[in-house]
Amino acid sequence: MQTQTMTAPPRTPSPFKRFWREYGWAYLFILAPVLLFLSFTLYPVVTAFLMSFQKYNIMNSTWIGLDNYKRMLHDDVFWKSIRNTVIFTIGTVPINIIITFGLSFFIYQMKNSWQTFFKATLYLPTVASGVTISIVWLAIFDPTDSGLLNRLLELFGIDPLIWLGKSNSALLSLMLMNWLGSHGAGIILYLAAMGGIPKSLYEAADIDHASMWTKFRRITWPLMKPTTLYLLVTGVITSFQVFISVYLMTQGGPNFATTTIAYLIYETAFKFYDFGLASAQSFVLASLIIIVSIIQFKYFSSDIEY
Amino acid sequence: MARVEFRNVRKQFDDEKKGIFTAVEGSNFVINDREFVVFVGPSGCGKTTSLRMIAGLEKQTSGDIIIGDRIVNDLHPKDRDIAMVFQDYALYPHMTIRENLSFGLRNLKKPKTYIEEKVREAAAVLGLEEMLDRKPRELSGGQRQRVAVGRAIVRDPQVFLFDEPLSNLDAKLRVQMRVELADLHKRLGATIVYVTHDQVEAMTLGERIVVMNQGVIQQIASPAELYANPQNMFVAGFIGSPPMNFIDARVLGNSVFVEGTEFALQDTIADGLRAYQGREVILGIRPEHIFGEDVVSSVSGNYRLTKQIKAVEHLGSENLIYFPIGNRTVTAKVHPETVAYPGLSKTFVLDFSKVHFFDPETQQRIEY
Repeated sequence: MQTQTMTAPPRTPSPFKRFWREYGWAYLFILAPVLLFLSFTLYPVVTAFLMSFQKYNIMNSTWIGLDNYKRMLHDDVFWKSIRNTVIFTIGTVPINIIITFGLSFFIYQMKNSWQTFFKATLYLPTVASGVTISIVWLAIFDPTDSGLLNRLLELFGIDPLIWLGKSNSALLSLMLMNWLGSHGAGIILYLAAMGGIPKSLYEAADIDHASMWTKFRRITWPLMKPTTLYLLVTGVITSFQVFISVYLMTQGGPNFATTTIAYLIYETAFKFYDFGLASAQSFVLASLIIIVSIIQFKYFSSDIEY
Repeated sequence: MARVEFRNVRKQFDDEKKGIFTAVEGSNFVINDREFVVFVGPSGCGKTTSLRMIAGLEKQTSGDIIIGDRIVNDLHPKDRDIAMVFQDYALYPHMTIRENLSFGLRNLKKPKTYIEEKVREAAAVLGLEEMLDRKPRELSGGQRQRVAVGRAIVRDPQVFLFDEPLSNLDAKLRVQMRVELADLHKRLGATIVYVTHDQVEAMTLGERIVVMNQGVIQQIASPAELYANPQNMFVAGFIGSPPMNFIDARVLGNSVFVEGTEFALQDTIADGLRAYQGREVILGIRPEHIFGEDVVSSVSGNYRLTKQIKAVEHLGSENLIYFPIGNRTVTAKVHPETVAYPGLSKTFVLDFSKVHFFDPETQQRIEY
C-alpha cells in the first residue's frame, strides 16, 4: 500500500498584511498631519460651507437656503469692502513686487558681504509680528504734530494730515504702510533666482550686442517669471485677506473707507454674531482668491529650465 | 574673417581667497586669417582666460590684443565682431530656437527679412529647420550644441570662439560633433579659436595647437609637429595617449645607459648629448615605439630590454603592457598578437630613431 504525504503549500500573506508590511510605516508617519488637516482645516471649511446656508445658532440653526448670499449681495458695505480690497490689492501687490525686484536687483550688484548685510536688514521686519508693525505705524501716522510723517511734512511747510482719520487718505495710508513694509522674503527669493541665472547668458548677450536695458528686459525679467508669479499669487492672497492693520489702525473706518472683506467677515461674525452671513462672505472671498489665482497661473506661469 | 594676435598679454586675478594670481603670463601668438587654432592644456592653465580675453569678457592686465587690424584692448565684446560658443551653450531658456538664433541680429536692428533669411540659412546648415519653434529644453544635448553654433554663425563674425563646446556631450556624440565642426570650418572658411582640455579634440580639429600650462604657452605647432617634436616634457606628456614614457638615463661616451643596459647612440644624437657627458638625462619614448620582441617588424639595432610585465590591458586593436624601469612604470602599446601576461619576463625592443632626450632640470628637449 502506498502512502502519500501531503505537504501544505506555503501560506501567502493576505493582501492587507502585505500592504501593511510594505507601506505601514509610511502611512503611520503621514497620519498626524492628515489628522491635523482633517480636524482643523477640512472640518471647519465644510462646517462653514454648511453654515453659509443656515441662520446659525449654536443651539438651534435653521436652514435658510441662499438667503445669506442674497443678503450679502444686497449689502452696500459688502460691495464697498470688495471695492476696498480690490483697490488695496491692485495698489499694493504690483508696487510691492516692483519695489522688491528693484531692491533685489540693486543688492545683487553688490559684493557678497554687502549682499549679506542688506539681506539680513531687509529680512528683519518679516520676523516682526503684524501687531508690532501696526503699532509702530500708528505712531508714524499720528495726526498730531508728534507724528513722524507729519513732522516730515512740516519740514516742507505742509500742514499736518489726519492720515487714518479721513476717508480719502485712510486706505492710501494703509497701502503706504504696506509698500514700505516687509520685502525681505521676496528679496531672498529674487536674489536666489538671480543667482541661478548662468553668468554665461549675460556674457552671450554682451557678445550679441545687447544693451543693459535689453539684458534686463529680455533675460533677467523673463527668467524671474516663476518667482514673480509666486510673489504675485501669495501677495494677492495675503492682501485679499488683509486684516491686522485694518483691525488695529482704522477698525474699517472712517465711514467704511478701509473695511476690507476679511475685516467685514470678522465684524459680521464676532460683532454681530451672524455666523451664517460671515460664512457666506468667507466663501465669496475664498472663491475670489481661487479665481484670481487660476487666472494668474494661466497667464503668468512658465517653466524655465537651464 | 581676420587674424588674432596677442602681444605680451598678461592676466592677473585678484581673488578674495587666493589673493593675486597670474592666469596668463607673457602670451604671444598670431592666429592667421581662416585658421583653426586649438588651445589645449589641463584645468587652470589659462586657455579659457585667453579665449575670454579675445572675446573681451576679461580685460588683460597688460599687453595688446589685436583682431584684424584693430587693437581691441578697450573695446566692449559687442564691438569686437566675434561670436562665442559657450561650454554650457548659454541658450536663453525662455526663448524659442528661432528667437535664440536671431537675438544678436535683432539687437543689431537688422531688417526682419534679413534676419529670417540668416536664421533659415543657419538652421539649414545645422539641420535645425524642424526645431525652430521649440524651446531649448525640448532639444537633446547635441541639438542644443548646434543651436549654440548656429547663434554664432548667423552673425558672420570675424572670429569664432569655442569654449570647450563638446565637453557636455557623451563620447559618441562628441565624435560626431567633432566631425561636424571640422566640416563647418571648411565650409565657412572662418578664423576659429577653440579651447579644450581634450587632446584628442585638439589633435583632430586644430590646424595648429597652442599647448598651455600654468598660464604659460609651452608650444605652438601643428598636431604632427607637436607629436613628433615636443619642445618640453610637459608637451611630450600631454600630447599622445597613453602619454610618452620618461626613463632615467645616463650619457657615457657615445651611449646612454638605462639601468646598466647600454644603448649605443647614432652619431648625430651622441653629438647632441655631448654637453651631458656623465650626466643624467630623461629619455622619452612613446608607447607605440616599444615593441614585443616576438612581433617586431622594422626596428633595427640592438635596443633591447628584458623586463617582467606588471600588467596588461587588452584594447582589441592593441594591447597596453606595463613594466617597471627604475622607479617609473613604462607603457608599451603593442600589436594584439604580442604574447604578454603579468609576471612574464619579456624582451622589448625600443625604436631609438624615435626617442627624445630631455634636460632633467629645465625639462626642455635636447636639440640635436
